[in-house]
Amino acid sequence: MEATAIKENENPLRVGMRLEKTADPCTVIIFGASGDLTKRKLVPALYRLVQQRLLPAEFAIVGLARTEMSDDEFRRKMKEAVEQFSETKQVDAAVWNSFAQGIYYRSTDIGSTADFQKLGDLLNRIDRDRSTAGNRLFYLSVAPRFYAQAVEQLGRAGLTKAKPGSWVRVIIEKPFGTDLESARLLNSQILQHLEESQIYRIDHYLGKETVQNLLAFRFANGIFEPLWNRQYIDHVQLTNAEAVGVEGRGGYYEGAGVVRDMIQNHVFQVLSLVAMEPPAHLGAEAVRDEKIKVMTAAREFSPERVMAECVRGQYGAGSSNGKPVPGYREEEGVAPDSTTETFATLTMYFDNWRWAGVPFYLRSGKRLTKRVTEIAIQFREAPHQLFGANIMEQVMPNQLIIRIQPDEGITLRFAAKVPGQVTQIRDVNMDFRYGSSFGVQLAEAYERLLLDCILGDSTLYARKDMTERGWELVMPILEQWATDTKQVSFPNYEAGTWGPAAANELVEGRGTAWRRS
Amino acid sequence: MRLETQVTELTASPSKGLDILKIEKQLTSMWSDAGTADSSHSGVTRACTINLIVYTTPADDATELDELLNRVTELHPGRTLILMVDRHAKEAKLDGYVSTRCRLLGATGKQICGEQVTIEASGATVDTVASAVAPLLVPDVPVYLWWKDIPHYQDKLFDRLAQTADRVVIDSSVFDHPQEDLLRLATMIENSRHALQVSDLTWGRLTVWRTLLASFWDVPDYRPLLSSIDTVDVNFAPPESAPDEIAPKALLLAGWLASRLDWALVDVKKNASGIEFKLNCGADPIVVAFRRGPAGKSSITSVKLSARGGAASFYVGLHSAGAKLQTEARIGADHSVGRLLTYERRSDAERLSSELAFPGRDRVYEAALRVVGAALRSLS
Repeated sequence: MEATAIKENENPLRVGMRLEKTADPCTVIIFGASGDLTKRKLVPALYRLVQQRLLPAEFAIVGLARTEMSDDEFRRKMKEAVEQFSETKQVDAAVWNSFAQGIYYRSTDIGSTADFQKLGDLLNRIDRDRSTAGNRLFYLSVAPRFYAQAVEQLGRAGLTKAKPGSWVRVIIEKPFGTDLESARLLNSQILQHLEESQIYRIDHYLGKETVQNLLAFRFANGIFEPLWNRQYIDHVQLTNAEAVGVEGRGGYYEGAGVVRDMIQNHVFQVLSLVAMEPPAHLGAEAVRDEKIKVMTAAREFSPERVMAECVRGQYGAGSSNGKPVPGYREEEGVAPDSTTETFATLTMYFDNWRWAGVPFYLRSGKRLTKRVTEIAIQFREAPHQLFGANIMEQVMPNQLIIRIQPDEGITLRFAAKVPGQVTQIRDVNMDFRYGSSFGVQLAEAYERLLLDCILGDSTLYARKDMTERGWELVMPILEQWATDTKQVSFPNYEAGTWGPAAANELVEGRGTAWRRS
Repeated sequence: MRLETQVTELTASPSKGLDILKIEKQLTSMWSDAGTADSSHSGVTRACTINLIVYTTPADDATELDELLNRVTELHPGRTLILMVDRHAKEAKLDGYVSTRCRLLGATGKQICGEQVTIEASGATVDTVASAVAPLLVPDVPVYLWWKDIPHYQDKLFDRLAQTADRVVIDSSVFDHPQEDLLRLATMIENSRHALQVSDLTWGRLTVWRTLLASFWDVPDYRPLLSSIDTVDVNFAPPESAPDEIAPKALLLAGWLASRLDWALVDVKKNASGIEFKLNCGADPIVVAFRRGPAGKSSITSVKLSARGGAASFYVGLHSAGAKLQTEARIGADHSVGRLLTYERRSDAERLSSELAFPGRDRVYEAALRVVGAALRSLS
């Protein structure tokens, strides 16, 4: 037998195929099927995965929501959604009809045990008719208050237990809890019916190509990892900026704020990939063990640290992309005296051998100058300056910038001599852009994450300990800010700027400045 | 988009050969000129991920090739060396010129550029032109040779360029005499002294078919039937240039099934509608029947694998005049699951680009080709 020998239970025709992963037959059951996420992201992503032949014919979708609707009505709505939100904007009628044969809808009340019994019957029928092999992926795209109840009902109906040789997985959308207590409670409630290995807490940031490339960049290259520590790195800046405001979600955002909405989940997930130690292997548990290990080393926020090393902000009226925009307090669903933060800067430290003393400045906010998510690693200055101060005046320390969105790529900034008789040194950038080196369309984050879940790969999903650790870290900040409302007067930054002046002063006080992203 | 930069002719002659230093110098000055000429001040970025040597002949449409390379260099910017070879010209000629290929990156105004060296060789210089290629390769990035012709077996130029390249890209669909040429290709790879690594664009075209056929056996309900397959029907359209022959795509598909499923070739028989491979899986006989349709673009029109004397079947076939693919798994009279998928045929540029993304050896292709070689040998 040659190098591509067939292992037991392996599909021999898959051996040596350039497609790395293959999906099992399965049924995806979406709770909240009449919602926005189903229309905008989930069904278009599943349709595209089928068209890319990454999912088999033996595949079905069951939509669940309270609204009364027939299968055909739901299929028609989903067709419109795919036409509206997919990249191509058009769907071939015959191809859609073939896909739609595997789409079902059931009006379901999460409180009704009978509805879940009926769901079980439907899923058994689909297994028989479409050979979906008893593999089931439940996607909870409902309001967070229904997560625990939905899982409980699934458990009672016997739908959380997989048949021999099959699997049952549950994807839970964000937000996962609203504070540490509620996250812990939710975890304990769902773990009464599910094993941790069945739970996929989604964080769509982790589905982005550049976030995944962080692992390849750090651990597939020999030249960066030796520099990736306190000896060579002065500090790290993580910017997660949105140009948009609350976009009609004022009601939700009032109870959340940027720390709950972005920092404790997305920003911490990305941060842990930057700061973690090399995993033993690329298995989901090995990677997630390292992520939680480094987050456990994150220094807690005492009230003094919150006062001195964190900054909050709320946008006032201003302009965005040349257009006047209202302040946060004027947004729909927002209290006129709201104290919810739409911007935050946190200074993080990891008290371990690799990072002792290296500050990680995180900033995240709405209505900032532009939409950008990036990590800037600022290296220490050269230990001895051969060139005079006047020559080096224009030269900044070396920076490595990892852009996550938009325009994914990596840039290294270093100093170079300007050609000529006079010695002049200037910063230049060495640029790697996904678009230019690979010239390919990057997959939608939801496509990647849905496929990973169907394939049973939870690397890019958050584990219980990580969700709770995120909350543990931010709770003292939220509590301090809640009790100390006089400390700051909102609004304190104009929409369309880079946040409050205090955020700049925080880093300037340490002899540096925010990178102009 | 092509950057409007100079295409510089370089003085060369059959007696003096190409001035490699001059070419390199010209490339350097071209980059600095491109930066100066960049009126948008957004910057010109030189990107180099591969060396691509393209062997072409006067029969190739230069405009078509130019458009194709524009698309390929978008996905794989690097150094392209085009060898325009006229073997039949009496006059010995050697010319070279350099140019860039650029594209705009999104709305940033930034241009990503690769570089191109074109060498025209004719007459006696054809045998020696390979020696001008090696020094022009950018170090440390993979070298691909796209041989846009039927491989010239025992040809000095092919042999030397193939040795220089990490991978040779060919297209068996353009073979004049598919069966004879495939046999020669199989023999050449088997006997290759320097482990010739071949990418066949036709094999790339088979990926969709192979993926859909393979996906049947991902389904636990169907998996037990894999060892009970007794008949494979491959319907194909032979190439117009060789209407009596089997399309390479059809042969390679059968070779792939046989090599992956450990089917041993017993015999090859001609019949009225085509030919049949007789194979054994252990003691169980299997027949692969090739059924010829009307000649056209060399291709497969459908594949049906039947198990247990027809009690179950697995079908993949063209639908809606080839714009779609239909699949169907049928077990007994009651159970049938299938789907209709858009069949987006990828352009040659996309096909070539995807081959350039895989630098390693394709052992599955080699195994499939070995079976095809053995079958064609026994037929001849």
